Amino acid sequence: MFITIAEFIGRLHPLLVHLPIGILLIACLLQWLSSKQRFSELYQAITITLLCGMVAAIASTISGYLLRMNEDYDEQLVNIHQWLGISTAVISIIFYFLHRRNAPVKVRLGISVLLFLLIVLTGHFGGTLTHGSDYLSFSGSGETTAIRQKPIADVQEAMIYTDIVQPLLQTKCYGCHGKNKQKGGLRMDDSARLWKGGKDGIVLIAGKADESEMIKRLLLPRNHEDHMPPKEKPQLNEQEIALLHWWIASGAPFRKKVKEVKQSETIKPILISFQNNGPEKKLISDIPVTAVNRGDEEAINKLKERGVVVLPVAQNSNYLMASFVIVDSVTDSDIALLLPLQQQFIWLKLGNTRISDSSLYVISKLKNITRLQLDHTNITDTGLAHLRSLTNLQYLNLVGTKVSLQGMLALKELKNLQSVYLYQTLIKSSEWTALKNNFPHILIDSGGYSVPIFETDTTLVKPKKKS
Amino acid sequence: MTQKELHDQRLVKEANDKAMRFFTRRHFLRESAMGFGALAFGSLLGCNSDASVNAVNDFDAANPLAPRMPMFPGKARSIIYLHMAGAPSQLELFDYKPELMKLDGQNCPDSLLEGKRFAFIRGVPKMLGPQAQFKQYGQSGAWVSEHLPHFSTIVDEVSFLKAMTTDQFNHAPAQLLMHSGSARLGRPSMGSWVTYGLGTENQNLPGFVVLTSGGNFPDAGKSVWGSGFLPSVYQGVQCRSEGDPVLFIKDPAGIDRDLRKASIDAINEVNKQEYEEFKDPEILSRISQYEMAFKMQISVPEVMNINSEPEYIQSMYGTKPGKACFANNALLARKLVEKGVRFVQLFDWGWDTHGTSESGSLDIGLINKCREVDKAMTALILDLKQRGLLEETLVVWGGEFGRTPMQENREGKQNIFKGRDHHAEAFTIWMAGGGIKKGYSYGETDEVGYSTVSGKTEPFDVQATILNQLGLDHEKFVYYFQGRPFRLTDVSGRVIEEILA
Repeated sequence: MFITIAEFIGRLHPLLVHLPIGILLIACLLQWLSSKQRFSELYQAITITLLCGMVAAIASTISGYLLRMNEDYDEQLVNIHQWLGISTAVISIIFYFLHRRNAPVKVRLGISVLLFLLIVLTGHFGGTLTHGSDYLSFSGSGETTAIRQKPIADVQEAMIYTDIVQPLLQTKCYGCHGKNKQKGGLRMDDSARLWKGGKDGIVLIAGKADESEMIKRLLLPRNHEDHMPPKEKPQLNEQEIALLHWWIASGAPFRKKVKEVKQSETIKPILISFQNNGPEKKLISDIPVTAVNRGDEEAINKLKERGVVVLPVAQNSNYLMASFVIVDSVTDSDIALLLPLQQQFIWLKLGNTRISDSSLYVISKLKNITRLQLDHTNITDTGLAHLRSLTNLQYLNLVGTKVSLQGMLALKELKNLQSVYLYQTLIKSSEWTALKNNFPHILIDSGGYSVPIFETDTTLVKPKKKS
Repeated sequence: MTQKELHDQRLVKEANDKAMRFFTRRHFLRESAMGFGALAFGSLLGCNSDASVNAVNDFDAANPLAPRMPMFPGKARSIIYLHMAGAPSQLELFDYKPELMKLDGQNCPDSLLEGKRFAFIRGVPKMLGPQAQFKQYGQSGAWVSEHLPHFSTIVDEVSFLKAMTTDQFNHAPAQLLMHSGSARLGRPSMGSWVTYGLGTENQNLPGFVVLTSGGNFPDAGKSVWGSGFLPSVYQGVQCRSEGDPVLFIKDPAGIDRDLRKASIDAINEVNKQEYEEFKDPEILSRISQYEMAFKMQISVPEVMNINSEPEYIQSMYGTKPGKACFANNALLARKLVEKGVRFVQLFDWGWDTHGTSESGSLDIGLINKCREVDKAMTALILDLKQRGLLEETLVVWGGEFGRTPMQENREGKQNIFKGRDHHAEAFTIWMAGGGIKKGYSYGETDEVGYSTVSGKTEPFDVQATILNQLGLDHEKFVYYFQGRPFRLTDVSGRVIEEILA
């Protein structure tokens, strides 16, 4: 498809705008400097600079107007930007003629300050239009990430729209059909506007997924011009499309729970995949977001001399992992070697070592630990209590230790805990229910699995005798 | 002059002669003339500006198996790859096709045969319905056949890839493709790549262990765990579950441990001098292999002894102490991973069910093979899980290709048993643990299981995914050889994001 000349000129706007900004700012600067005796000769340059800036400003205004005609932006924002832009152009024209007429210096200084402010404001609102209102702020990206994929403990209890559909629309659609832009006149971030559709009509037909424009466009070949999301943008995968299809086919409910909606065989496994791990969960969540200083080289070498494997968890990361898998006899003094690196360690493998409760007191100072393997060690409840301070802990392996239900309950406050392995501990079979009730969102593995003995395990099939 | 002095003198002379042969006049002239010419020509062509020419492989020759950091934090730290050599039939195990039952006994439609080649099928074969009953299991509702009664209880732990394809329909090339990324010989196997990239945590054990069962090696032979162009220290170390775990691991009679140590030190000293002179990295490999072998003499018999495992674990796997069987190998795999071994590769031979013999048939041989592995592979997953190891151990199960929905008619004649031919266009593998989704299935085949309909994956994708879970980017993980960077996934491969948790 070809675009019209007007559209094309409109698209030059992002390029053109930088000219008046630069040139007019120089003109203002020249104006201010030339009032000083030392720079008085700069006065000669003002006229031509202003002329160039004025022409550029007019061109930008025209192209900007054409752009807004053909694209869909936030109405209010684009109005402010437009009128500020026009004002800038007008003021630059007035400034030019005042200068030609040799108006009094005070008038010219005044108008140059006004022009300066206009340029800054227009530029700011222009930036907001393209990058979003949260772009230029110290808080990082604010609004767009407000609705994050929360871990879902039981997908059947989850809200179908807010927990499953909305996070998906948000990551893949709101960028162009949200608060800041409404391409094609479509805004999807609230239900009323989603139902209303865009310029080309409604996008959702409740109960009829295959006839809904939204699904149709998702399913078009990626090179088709109507395909959504546009081919250069992140795409939806098969499961995500299946989810949207299922949601619309179920009448596009906004306030229902998953369990209240009929689920086909194909959608069930996709829904289950939301449990424990949302589809948008980041891969590197087990590394802290905040950076840390490089670990002390000498401290690392001391550990290595003891046979401990010490490694950064990844290239370009100062966080460390340690494995004691080949250290013959780990003593509590060896554990003390970890202390100089207490900020850096996040994964610790201490399984099958002789460490005891006093080591755990040291380990409790390693605040950033996320994965801790203490299986088959001599630790007890007393030591376990020290781990209460490890608020970042996600994985805890206590297999083959002498910890009991009481010891585990001391860790109730660990908010980030995801999985605890408790095979062959002192926890009695009657206590598992109580334990699981105390840790409702955590994988508690009791172990002790058995594989039944079937007669067929050991018998072999023989061919039938021909009669 | 005593006999000994004479002997020593001769040795010294021999060594000097050998060294001199590397520095003859001709050698000097040839190297200088050709060398200068090559240098000049090279710079004329501007070759040196190309980074890859000067690229050095990031490899510590003196300590080749030392653990190394991944590119990004990986979910998995170890791999257990269970390869069913011979290619198990997906149509009798996981890929349930009720439509195929309706076509049972009818002639195969031309549309499936046109332009296709098969290993043995000739002319028009008959369609063959599923030779097993299927049911859905677990929360995920995965279809599994009656042949795997134990495995069907753990389907909620695994992700299936049901639309696997390959481009090889013979065992050896297909196995090589699966494990080395090339159907031809000479590329390093996946385990070699991984130990090259990440080393291994336990310096007293090999980083890449291979265990075989089923009475035969895989058709591709030992190349399928070879190191290709990587230093040979990265090749898979084959261990046995019957007799000594490694051949000649015991000291011979009359040699004690101290004497053994002294002799290895002496040999290594000579090798080091040799290295100083010729700088061949293979010499360093040899030195570290001697040292590892010495340490392994103690550590391997200990870790390879499944008798030290309690009775309930033995019965969980269904081990047969003293025999070479899959169950023993599965238990060993867990023990090795627990000790920090990076890559454990199991091959179980005997899944080639053409229908030409009793053991190679769908109605007898396949069922018996399933009985040999079903319990043990189920136990392996559960045992890893209860030890908290499944989170960081990626288990992969699969064959090298699939089997046809048609009954094989070797040389145009009906085979005496029920069987299927090799089929490259569709098969099923599964993965579990190591950051893989639980209870999930990706990819679909058509209604007779002949070709893929959606979610098609290939060996390169599996390799890319395995590397990704270990924290290696398959596109950046390269080895420079013969003037160009090589990758396990060559020029393809896609991380199968769909099955990642």
